[in-house]
Amino acid sequence: MPAQIAARAVVLALAVCVTLTATAQAAPSASIAPAFLPDRLGAKGALGLTIRYYGGESGVPSPVRRSVWRLPAGLSLEIPDLRSCAAAQLRAHGASGCPPQSQIGRGHALAEVHAGSQILTENIALWAFVGPLHNLQPTFEILGQGYTPFDERMVFTGTVRPDRAPYGEDLVMSIPTIPSLPLEPDVSIVTLSLTVGTSKVRRSHVANTIVVPSHCPAGGFRFAAEFTYADGSSGSALATAICPR
Amino acid sequence: MAMTPKVRIVLAASPACVCVIVATVAWARGTLIVHERFTPDKLGASTNLSVTGRFLSTTGGPSAPITKFTIYGPAGMTVDARDAGTCVAAKLRELGPNGCPANSRAGFGGGVGLLELPKETIREAYTLDFFFASKERGRLALLVYASAVSPVTVELVLVAREVRAPKPYGLGFSVEVPLISALPGAPYASVESVFATLGAANVAYYKTVRGKKTLTHLKGIVVPKTCPRGGFPSEGTIDFADGTNLTVNPTIPCPRK
Repeated sequence: MPAQIAARAVVLALAVCVTLTATAQAAPSASIAPAFLPDRLGAKGALGLTIRYYGGESGVPSPVRRSVWRLPAGLSLEIPDLRSCAAAQLRAHGASGCPPQSQIGRGHALAEVHAGSQILTENIALWAFVGPLHNLQPTFEILGQGYTPFDERMVFTGTVRPDRAPYGEDLVMSIPTIPSLPLEPDVSIVTLSLTVGTSKVRRSHVANTIVVPSHCPAGGFRFAAEFTYADGSSGSALATAICPR
Repeated sequence: MAMTPKVRIVLAASPACVCVIVATVAWARGTLIVHERFTPDKLGASTNLSVTGRFLSTTGGPSAPITKFTIYGPAGMTVDARDAGTCVAAKLRELGPNGCPANSRAGFGGGVGLLELPKETIREAYTLDFFFASKERGRLALLVYASAVSPVTVELVLVAREVRAPKPYGLGFSVEVPLISALPGAPYASVESVFATLGAANVAYYKTVRGKKTLTHLKGIVVPKTCPRGGFPSEGTIDFADGTNLTVNPTIPCPRK
């Protein structure tokens, strides 16, 4: 079912937020913290993912260029009223340019760049949307909007593909360069938090929700991610969401 | 115990150097290669002006220390500092860039400096932070915070002052650069390369207007509304401590339509 596939794709897209743990101080690395809301098997709700990136000689980690997010088998996204939104719409009109039903998540990120003698930071608001099918594969779009010191808008597209157990699907995302200023380094995302679905108890019957798997494997739900950084290095990370009581 | 010499100097710098676009000029001791561009490159638009300059020595040694920059930009290029804050030199000197309001930021830059010692030449990276300062007698002024960390710590606060420019130029800036003696008895430091980006394209800050928090966009540097045939003329003069000087007259190509 296209709607179900799209939903899974969205979930995977959210996984973009997941991260791995690294070793060397200067080498880029990441960590991820997933959380189900509510934390109950088979429940409809939200999945929250927080990623933190580390490393970088100047105190700013190298930008991520590609990420592959692996989500636990059985995880799905329920979209009662399937709508999609194209990246071009998001770029031109922002979140308001898309059907409300196509929005599947909200979040925020912190971006940094080392320019001059300082590290500049910018808070970025995030929105996640169901994207149009690409080669019959579900996609998702993540819109980032920062206002100050740089009024910038960016859109990233991810695609979904099946994975092997214990994972269900992968979210593959190529992340374009985020330029800062001419002659200065590109922008790095330092932290990213994204919540997909809704955990509201009183929610609309057409609200998009995450459906927690009805069974929890021994050891918990496994999340994984692989990253390729702009400096050419790569890394991977694992995270486990413990089984609900 | 290793000692890290620290130099703290106040000097005047010129943001005008930004007006040069692409030029290669040879002088007695080598060649100066200058490259510059507008981003975005559009007539009448708020833009970032970025410039790079590199000295290539033909004598084997570094260029003489720089004592003054004078730069003239093309007529019609303006700096719109409305809605920008201002930084006070004393605060910048005392606290570094954190002592300046965020909305006084005018640009960034850096480069490589040279310290010639008896047995070696040390190449040291430095950074530049540009801030709007209060106008002086109605003329624009910028503060430039130059900083190097290792192996020699250097902190300089420069004041770039607007100067009258002869035709066919418009905006002019001049800055005097003090001689920097990093170590007792050692020759003065010189410059191998410099880069800078000035402007406020896409820069915005929140400002309270009638009690309401409002996102305000800065304009900063604005590209002239028309481009003369052959491109925008500009001129830069560098005075060296040995009494020589170097003048470059690059032309900034007109934006593509």
